[in-house]
Amino acid sequence: MTFDMTMALFRPALKYAMEKNGHGKTLGLKMTEINRGEINLVFPYKEEVVGNPLTGVVHGGVIVSLLDTACGSAAMTVLNTPAVTPTIDLRLDYMHPAEPHKPIYVEAKVYRQTANVIFCRGLAWQDDKENPIAHCVANFMKVDSKSINFSAIAITQLRRLMPWGKTTDSDKETGK
Amino acid sequence: MSSEEMSLEQNKHQLKEWQESIAAARQENSPQTVMEMIPYAAFIGAQARIENDQLLYWLDKKPSNIGNPSLPAIHGGVIGGFLELAAAIEIIYTLDIAAVPKVVDFSLDYLRAGRYKTIYAKCQVLRQGKKLINVTASAWQDDENTPIATARCHFLI
Repeated sequence: MTFDMTMALFRPALKYAMEKNGHGKTLGLKMTEINRGEINLVFPYKEEVVGNPLTGVVHGGVIVSLLDTACGSAAMTVLNTPAVTPTIDLRLDYMHPAEPHKPIYVEAKVYRQTANVIFCRGLAWQDDKENPIAHCVANFMKVDSKSINFSAIAITQLRRLMPWGKTTDSDKETGK
Repeated sequence: MSSEEMSLEQNKHQLKEWQESIAAARQENSPQTVMEMIPYAAFIGAQARIENDQLLYWLDKKPSNIGNPSLPAIHGGVIGGFLELAAAIEIIYTLDIAAVPKVVDFSLDYLRAGRYKTIYAKCQVLRQGKKLINVTASAWQDDENTPIATARCHFLI
């Protein structure tokens, strides 16, 4: 694999935007893998997000957030100029309830893109990827990146936190 | 008594408590009481009340619900989670069923960006079968006729 400069710069910005801001931070999700058209993340179990108080099973809404985040991020990574990709729609099938007190793993992949639309698939599982808790398909719009200053903001926030040169070095090591 | 029998007995007890709490909430016309029984509702800050004989759900703006910090916009997943929660409350509160409904599938159309302000939602049970319930939910901000998202949900009971 050749070194992908756009991804090397975008990877920390995306990780920062998703893990350290708003709902992603509140959920405590961690992006474990960020590549072109592919995202992996993990969510630790949290008592606060229980949907069924009788069983301690997390609410389906959490799975929606995780898959929406993963698919949306995967969609962003296929653009040459990273920008926000508004979600058109999302369909989720719940195969079985998540077991309490266990982390949830999520994988999202872009399987097709056209001039205007990015098609994504996502999977959420705990012990066995072959026996997932949920599967989703989500579609995203490609919009004019000039109208959105997302990457600029993420990079500015990142710069405030750490010296920029240091970040690029570590990215070169992990860059594929 | 084996441990299995004991946990079964405990489940029965919990379910009975759950049903009694729901019955009490209905008696007091307080869907918010049902909402408060689900931890996820407090996590995103969802609330419910009765308006014109229908359940109205709302989600006040909250920094922890932001998805895109640069706009700022409400996280798409939060809107989805809120609508799924509203659909579940609609079933628990308005229909007479014993257990917590299990979601089978969920389909969500995003129509407009959720701006950083209160989101409202209403649900409608389209069909109640013996096993399956179909519910639709619609979310809006300024005007009920310009929804920001609509959802369709199947629950097993």
